[in-house]
Amino acid sequence: MAEIGSFALLLALALSVYTFVAGIVALAFQKQTPQPAPQSGSQITHRSGASASVNDSSLVALLRRGSERIGETARRAGIATFAAVFLAAVVLVLCAFRDDFSIAYIFHHSNRDLSGPYKFAVLWSGQEGSLLFWSLLLAAYGFVLRLRYKTDPRLFAYASVVLAGVQIFFLMLVNFAANPFGILEGPLRPDGSGLNPLLQYPEMVIHPPMLYLGYVGFTVPFAFALGALIMKYPGEKWIHITRRWTMVTWAFLTCGVFLGAHWAYSVLGWGGYWGWDPVENASLMPWLTGTAFLHSVMMQEKRGMLKMWNMWLVFATFWLAILGTFLTRSGIISSVHAFAQSSIGGWFAWFLALSFVVFVFFFFKNKSHLISEHKLESLMSRESSFLFNNLLFVLLCFTVLWGTWFPKISELVQGNKVTVGGPFYNRVAIPVALLLLILTAIGPLLAWRKTSLESLKRNFLWPTVGAIAVAIFLMLTPQKWGAPFGLKPWQDIAYFYSLMAIGLSVLVTLTVASEFYRGGRVISKHTGQNMFASMVQLTHRNTRRYGGYIVHFGVVVVIIGFAGSAFNQDKEMEMKSGDKLTIGAYTLVCRSSTEDDNPNYFSQWAILDVYKGGKQIDAMTPERRFYHASQQTSTMPFIRSTLNEDLYLVFEGVNQDNGRPILRAHLNPLVMWVWMGVWIILGGTILALVPNAPAPVRVPAPARLQQQAQPAPVATGD
Amino acid sequence: MMWLIICLALAVATFFYVFYLPGRLFLGPEKTRAGYLRERKDAVYENLRDLNFEHKAGKVPDADYTSLKSSLQDEAATLLAEIARLETNPVPQKGTRS
Repeated sequence: MAEIGSFALLLALALSVYTFVAGIVALAFQKQTPQPAPQSGSQITHRSGASASVNDSSLVALLRRGSERIGETARRAGIATFAAVFLAAVVLVLCAFRDDFSIAYIFHHSNRDLSGPYKFAVLWSGQEGSLLFWSLLLAAYGFVLRLRYKTDPRLFAYASVVLAGVQIFFLMLVNFAANPFGILEGPLRPDGSGLNPLLQYPEMVIHPPMLYLGYVGFTVPFAFALGALIMKYPGEKWIHITRRWTMVTWAFLTCGVFLGAHWAYSVLGWGGYWGWDPVENASLMPWLTGTAFLHSVMMQEKRGMLKMWNMWLVFATFWLAILGTFLTRSGIISSVHAFAQSSIGGWFAWFLALSFVVFVFFFFKNKSHLISEHKLESLMSRESSFLFNNLLFVLLCFTVLWGTWFPKISELVQGNKVTVGGPFYNRVAIPVALLLLILTAIGPLLAWRKTSLESLKRNFLWPTVGAIAVAIFLMLTPQKWGAPFGLKPWQDIAYFYSLMAIGLSVLVTLTVASEFYRGGRVISKHTGQNMFASMVQLTHRNTRRYGGYIVHFGVVVVIIGFAGSAFNQDKEMEMKSGDKLTIGAYTLVCRSSTEDDNPNYFSQWAILDVYKGGKQIDAMTPERRFYHASQQTSTMPFIRSTLNEDLYLVFEGVNQDNGRPILRAHLNPLVMWVWMGVWIILGGTILALVPNAPAPVRVPAPARLQQQAQPAPVATGD
Repeated sequence: MMWLIICLALAVATFFYVFYLPGRLFLGPEKTRAGYLRERKDAVYENLRDLNFEHKAGKVPDADYTSLKSSLQDEAATLLAEIARLETNPVPQKGTRS
């Protein structure tokens, strides 16, 4: 089996190299030999391969046809690459299920008693397999791209070449630096070393694929952007073509980031979901630039502005995704999440440098193609709100990048490693997030080009009054109602931030609601439908905009969840049967502690009764496991989630002297809002992907549009 | 030995798929400046529709609406004029726009 996998990887590499080289040759020849003008009545040119050379004697036409055929073989080689990588991945998974411990990767990441889903997840649980998985996802994106080439064959051909370049790098890695089919030296072992216990959690079966789909997916908009830049693509249609790719990719990355956060919350047992760990940061950085790109690209589409900026943003997103993969694998920065470390860092460093040089070369070569068609007319405009939004996202990204690399930088400069923690990031991230919330509220209410003060007053008055009223209400309510009531911002800076976050969240919610209401009212007036039906129709007419508003609402819900962290509490106690621990409104009574053993792991857990208001409401069983194959321990916190708060219990271990379990309890308010917000974000994104219903509203072209006497030059796309 | 046969079959099938090109190739149209201008025109029309809707929704006051509408119409007029000029006197095809 291993031989078939290795061969499939070599074949995939050969095919990718062919896609890249033949693609470049074909495009170079086509550039030298322009396509003849299309015949009248038809914009599409079809050529018969068999009869082409009979009547056409010119060398130019011959070269052209030859290059077209080479281009087609390159496209097909790209498609075949996917089949070859897919075969390699299938072989690896089959080897895991067959417990083929002759393969070093299977030996190191699986064992006989591992359950089926985790054996499947072995594919991305280690260095070599996850790189193969990266290659597979990239090949899958390339497969779809190359099948859909008819949308714009030349642009897709350029994008295909860029994609093949990236694919070659990853296939070289899995062929020559981290081969998943390497054979284990020495005698055949009866059992494997087992999967890392931290990865034996249901979410880990879906978290890496989601994150990788996001990481890898940003290669596609980058490939189109670079392709469009190289060919000096006239206009912004490439953005329209890649819009859905970008949104789908962004949704996968969002899902991956938050699944990672949820996994950390549910498995690592420290009571939080985000610790500014380098690997967490690695996933956040491309998300930040990708989110900035999703916003600013609208300015390019609508107004032909920020073309250079967008080019850099999409490159930065791609580059940061590769950097993230480099961070998690090179071992250059230590992290609790880095499951695979090896010497392939050098490969990544070279690839990052090469991709930067290639991008910078084409950027400066064709910079003139990226001149903006319009200038910023007013600070009070939708454009400027997008611009500030972008600057804030980039500032946040730079802060995260700086903090992540600071240990390495300090080591190089001072000779000792200085690590920065949560307080460093929070000092920048919280104010920036609050400013972004303000822009999220303001942006949609500003008109393109300029907005008058009267318009501002008209649109903002009621949402602002509503937000201030809610903030005052939160300050005046008693603290005994639980978080976030009784917020006294003067008591603690964390409370001040929480109050601001909640107040601004209300502002965003009200502006989003007013957008739906105003739009729905217009439709209702024209159609006579009720308000709800009108709002549904409104959303269907412009799914991107209204789906986007729902995404904004989801972000608000997530932010409210984050705001709850200002009220977190925790307590630790050694507990024998009958002992009580009180945290917030809860009293935990230890009923007993017990042990169990199964072929995969040995476990210890405690049983605690949960009381609230003197009444038993639940029983909780936090657990600690010892995995036999890997000889590692792992905690399984027990989390009781409600809309108000999470009661989070961790079995820390057993006191060796008296055998009593040590338990830590956390009370984390509003955490469920974070996960609910993510579902809303995903719902909004899916809605934004739905095609628009045709707009019945028509704007009649005024007569003067047809009567322009002196044609003046207009902004050009090339 | 079996794996060798499978690999050989795989290589042959791939070679056949990549290099055997019967029938017609789809090449698509070459993008022209007129095509680009039509896309821009569509974007300006969409902006006009959005503006119109936002005015009806009460988000844009009358004075802003009139001024914004006028500038968008000017932009559309310029685009339409150049499209008309290109359609009346088409420039020779340049192929790529490099």
